[in-house]
Amino acid sequence: MANNKETNSSSRNNMIIAVAGNPNSGKSTLINSIAGAKLSVGNWPGVTVEKNFAEFEFRGQHITLVDLPGTYSLSPYTQEEVITRNYLVHEKPDVIINVVDATNLERNLYFTIQLLELGIPLVIALNMSDETAQKGFFIDIEKMSSTLGCAVIPTVATKAEGVERLMEKAVEFAAGGVDHPYGSIFYGEDIEKAVAVILDEIKNKNNIEFPRWLALKLLEGDQLVAGEFGISTDAPFLAKATRHLKEAHSDDLETLMADARYSLAAGLTREVLKKPAKRKREMTQKIDAVVLNRFLGIPIFLIAMWFMFKLTFDISGPFSDWLDGVVSGPLTRWTNELLIAISAPDWIISLITKGVIAGVGAVFVFLPPIFAIMFFITFLEGSGYMARAAFVMDRMMHAIGLHGKSFIPLLMGFGCNVPAVYATRMLENQRDKILTALLIPLMSCGARLPVYVLFSAAFFSAYAGTVLWSLYILGIVLAVLMGLLFKNTLFRGEAPVFIMELPPYRMPTAKNLIIHTWEKGKHYLIKAGTWILAISVFVWFALNLPWGVESKKDSYLGRAGQVIAPVFEPLGFGTWEAASSLLTGVIAKEIVVSTMGEVYVPGADEEKEETPSIGEDIRQIVFSFGDAFVNAANNIFSTFGIATISVEEDEGTIGLKSVLVKNYTPLSAYAFMVFVLLYFPCFIVLIAMRHEFGTWKWAGVTIAYQTVLAWIVAFVIYQGGRLLGL
Amino acid sequence: MLPLALLNEGDIAEIVGCFDDKNRFFIEGMPRGLFRRGRGRHGWQYTNYLQSMGLRPGKQIEMINNGGQGPLVFRVDESRIALGRGAAMKIYVRRIQK
Repeated sequence: MANNKETNSSSRNNMIIAVAGNPNSGKSTLINSIAGAKLSVGNWPGVTVEKNFAEFEFRGQHITLVDLPGTYSLSPYTQEEVITRNYLVHEKPDVIINVVDATNLERNLYFTIQLLELGIPLVIALNMSDETAQKGFFIDIEKMSSTLGCAVIPTVATKAEGVERLMEKAVEFAAGGVDHPYGSIFYGEDIEKAVAVILDEIKNKNNIEFPRWLALKLLEGDQLVAGEFGISTDAPFLAKATRHLKEAHSDDLETLMADARYSLAAGLTREVLKKPAKRKREMTQKIDAVVLNRFLGIPIFLIAMWFMFKLTFDISGPFSDWLDGVVSGPLTRWTNELLIAISAPDWIISLITKGVIAGVGAVFVFLPPIFAIMFFITFLEGSGYMARAAFVMDRMMHAIGLHGKSFIPLLMGFGCNVPAVYATRMLENQRDKILTALLIPLMSCGARLPVYVLFSAAFFSAYAGTVLWSLYILGIVLAVLMGLLFKNTLFRGEAPVFIMELPPYRMPTAKNLIIHTWEKGKHYLIKAGTWILAISVFVWFALNLPWGVESKKDSYLGRAGQVIAPVFEPLGFGTWEAASSLLTGVIAKEIVVSTMGEVYVPGADEEKEETPSIGEDIRQIVFSFGDAFVNAANNIFSTFGIATISVEEDEGTIGLKSVLVKNYTPLSAYAFMVFVLLYFPCFIVLIAMRHEFGTWKWAGVTIAYQTVLAWIVAFVIYQGGRLLGL
Repeated sequence: MLPLALLNEGDIAEIVGCFDDKNRFFIEGMPRGLFRRGRGRHGWQYTNYLQSMGLRPGKQIEMINNGGQGPLVFRVDESRIALGRGAAMKIYVRRIQK
């Protein structure tokens, strides 16, 4: 609703152009070629559907371009349809650019006809005109334009052909320089008569901008629209107006209207489109014969996923490490020196280096995987494979009430839960998105690995690998069980019918990929970044208050640890040290290890290093960046395993290990690892959920169910193990 | 006449009609009530979504992928549509060409 105010004075200073069309009509590519780098990505208010918009000058005219979600119709059922409809009716754009896929004329015109009912000036971008030529189709543009009463401009979005002319026409139409017969669509005697009666009845009402459209909606018995205008769908005048229609045709006037529109679209298509008698066997068909094959489909999908996972985390891993190194090394040191130089008090130095800079570091570390994952998702979507993946995996995922596509975010969760939560946006409906996001934290992410490595090395050195895998498997098993549980409780009701279009395979353009990857990543940086920073500072205070606290045991965090420690007693680790470590694990689970270092072995951390000069630091940063590149390349080419999930030990933890052996038994150590696997996800995941779903509700549900689940499972393991005499 | 779900790969057929949720058969347009999609103000809503995707009685379709279980893929005009088996059992077609 950001453009509310500009709308009224639109024609003079700001022109609003809405771009609407079917999914896969090439709409977003067209918008990229119009707006290019000026494109911004946001969300529609209150929902997770992505909103693209751009502001720019075109021949001295200020233009706001809004990309409406891709839909097949303007009925009020899916989220996308409601958004599109509300935008058009309430924001009243000056002109609509309707992107029509020329290879699929009939279905696209069905939507065009609905748009024309509004009477907003409309320009058709007849997109993919190159592909129609390839298929041997011929479209009579003149005839199409004169029948529909709107301009039709052939475009090839991928090559930016016709875009200039399209914009010229749109601006011309918006400025009202063209005599444009609005709402010239005629639905036949019977329907038009009924519409006339309704129009007569509502003409005295105020605030009706689109009378014909409203009349048609009332005829269809659209409760959403009727309610908005304060009209009852049972109003006597409506019954009177529709009596004849209902007697002569059918009770279901919505279907009758859909039919009327469809007949128009089909008729027009017959008039303007000439198809060759024989179809050519196309590339898409050939690829699909392999990719969707009964036996090859799933193996191909798994290989594709393995590559995606590997590329995402193995490429981004070294860069994450590099960013981490730069922030925690040189940046912290320089800031430290600088603050000492201006003789800042110690607590400020500590707050800035350990609170603020550590927070910034946490944000940065997640940047490479998030950019990488967004890049691959954009690629998979743009190429057309994503829809096939959903198809191939649907049967398997259906069992736990999920959509085939849910597999991808869940798999990503093994690398890092944060980009995985963001990846849920590729799912179409809210139910699938939320259900998938709720299960993601059960996928054991890379940040939990240091905890496992520390404990399994200390207690299970002989069979550390087996212990490690048991934890991953436990997560998956619990995800299946929780999926079944959620399906039958929170998300009861049938899963929506599986129906989706498989778009033709296309090579995504580099421009498209870069713009969308950058926009999605930027979003994370700004939105999540501020939260992460705030919480990092908060935790610093918890660790360092009250003023002048000497031992960590007496800090607020330590005290909180002491208070909640009894809760962990039945799980075998009811000490304040374990409790406070778990509390700090909320920031990121690997922090459990560093907190343990501080609370179990105080002072071990503060070994003095030689402080390198700034020159050495800079050289070091540059060199290690080079190393990151080399490592990323090595990761891609050298191994067939996945580098992210490999057991490496830190050298600095030997002291800690010996303390741990005194404080835990192997059984309580295992219970502790299970608890770390399951207890509530790091707050960056929670922020990502808030960010994706627009409410804290689902983050809250996740915290609640995971904490309970973690406690129960750890309890069963510890107490069960003791019963067995372990 | 046979359910869409029973077509073999490569078959070409014409849609005759389909059943709605109350098992009434429709030969004009796609009935609301078979395909639930999206969530409206009053819980799950019915929609004639298939119709808006270009699928309606009289249309010719070609079965592209039908593995005997799970969803199937068919072509209508220039679009490939993947559809769950349950829904595909409710749509009736007349086979034109094997």
